[in-house]
Amino acid sequence: MPEANESRLAIFPVLADRSKGGHMGRTALMKYMYLLQTVRGVPLGYHFTLYSYGPFDSDVLSDLSIAEALEAVKTELELYSGGYGYKIRAGRNAKWLERRASKFLNKYSGDIDWVIKKFGAFTSAELELIGTIVYVDQESAGGKKRIGLNQIAKLVHEIKPHFAESKVLQFAQKLEKEKILGAAS
Amino acid sequence: MHTRFEHSLGVMQVATLLYDAICQKSAEILKSDLAYNKDGLGRDRQLVRFAALLHDVGHSPFSHGSEDLFPIRPGGKRFKHEDYSVEIIRSELRSAIEEHNLNANYGLDAEDIAALVEGTSKAKQPIFWRDLIDGQMDADRMDYLLRDSYHTGVKYGGFDLSRILTTIRAIRSRDGHSPQLGVSRGGWHAAEGLVLARYFMFTQIYFHKTRVAYDIHLRGALKELLPGGFFPAPSGLGLKSYLKWDDWKVLGLLAGGKGGSHGTRLRTRNHFRRVFDTPEVPTKKDLEIFERVKKKLGRLVVAEEYSTKSWYKTGQPDIPVIDDHNPKDVKPLSKYSSVVRGLKANNQIFLYVSPEKFESADAKVREITSHARSK
Repeated sequence: MPEANESRLAIFPVLADRSKGGHMGRTALMKYMYLLQTVRGVPLGYHFTLYSYGPFDSDVLSDLSIAEALEAVKTELELYSGGYGYKIRAGRNAKWLERRASKFLNKYSGDIDWVIKKFGAFTSAELELIGTIVYVDQESAGGKKRIGLNQIAKLVHEIKPHFAESKVLQFAQKLEKEKILGAAS
Repeated sequence: MHTRFEHSLGVMQVATLLYDAICQKSAEILKSDLAYNKDGLGRDRQLVRFAALLHDVGHSPFSHGSEDLFPIRPGGKRFKHEDYSVEIIRSELRSAIEEHNLNANYGLDAEDIAALVEGTSKAKQPIFWRDLIDGQMDADRMDYLLRDSYHTGVKYGGFDLSRILTTIRAIRSRDGHSPQLGVSRGGWHAAEGLVLARYFMFTQIYFHKTRVAYDIHLRGALKELLPGGFFPAPSGLGLKSYLKWDDWKVLGLLAGGKGGSHGTRLRTRNHFRRVFDTPEVPTKKDLEIFERVKKKLGRLVVAEEYSTKSWYKTGQPDIPVIDDHNPKDVKPLSKYSSVVRGLKANNQIFLYVSPEKFESADAKVREITSHARSK
């Protein structure tokens, strides 16, 4: 396995272990990887683009399937009223994979802690919203025409009309206060 | 033989059928959750058709086979064919789209189409439809599976498109989330069929050892043919120059004796030979054996190729299945289908050697593998 791929896979069980209860959902995983790469500059090599459910790269889920096949993580489906979700936990070969990618994991251990500490308490729907806000902010930074929070809120509301513009603005303000907006990688 | 143009027309047609089916079956959700009215849906139908038609317009000669020769963009990531597609839409095709008489009915900008293909916030409300262009049940894969199956003559790749069209829906799969594309309960076997069609086509055709070998030679030959060994970047004069690189130009150069040693192998059909491969879903032990084989072969290895594909991703795009009689009952396809649930991601690795060295390399591989088996 190429070293870069191993590093990406090895992050999964570490994120799960450090999450509350020793597990995380798949939306959370996708958005954690996005935030690690985009806000903290962790070189994961994903290519996130925007969908109605926020920034997404199917390679993250391909990697997750490979990590599952290697038993570095295990996933359970949970059904509940109004939908379903997943619980990802470290698997029995997690430590083996972590050892192989130890240099990478040591280097970015602080970033992994950061993403769990800052975002670990949000619901999956909120993480989709946060990811979309950061994506819109990053796009405007990339285009050298930084846009204000009100404009971000308006744009995100157009993408996700089921979130009120005022709620989007609240989240954007919180992210700006935390210096997460404007943190171009 | 078929062309990407033919496929693009097919994607546009399938996307249109899917779009119309969703508008018919999920009018209420499109109105309540995505704020659509009749005019908005009429405009976005045309937008989706354009995006479907043009999503692949930026492909390099022989498509995916030469994507490793795209240059690296500032920031360190390689350009993708979608980057070329959107630049072509924004520049070369802009006036053809915006100034067409019929566009007075829709008011579409080239940028609207590019944003939907690229996945940027400029797409706004129509971003919902991006799953029809690039998603678990997109028009692209529905067309290429059926088309490639037909043209290669294999018996894989088929699935029930008509049943998918009857059962596709926009579904509120989870509280507080955007609606997603899914199927009603009567369509889950059709959705399962689509996933399996893809699994078979990848394992039997796209990841076939000899087809993969020809990718290596095509890439090697193109590296010789391209100035500096890479395609130009997708902007300004670079894009103009890129557009001159099509299949016909490359075939002409190869036929004229160009392309170096890889060009010669393509002309004489004397391709590299696979000497070792891991199982499609390798275990920890398989990967350890692979590393020992690779070390033993040393410089005999001329190419190491990865066939990495997840047939079905049980995450965000997990296809939701809804009970039409009880809209609160939404479960993912992987819950209904034990076959889909059991599919594991392909992570196969191939090692290739030159045909002239195959026998000695094969003997070395046998030393390792027979020893590993006896352990």
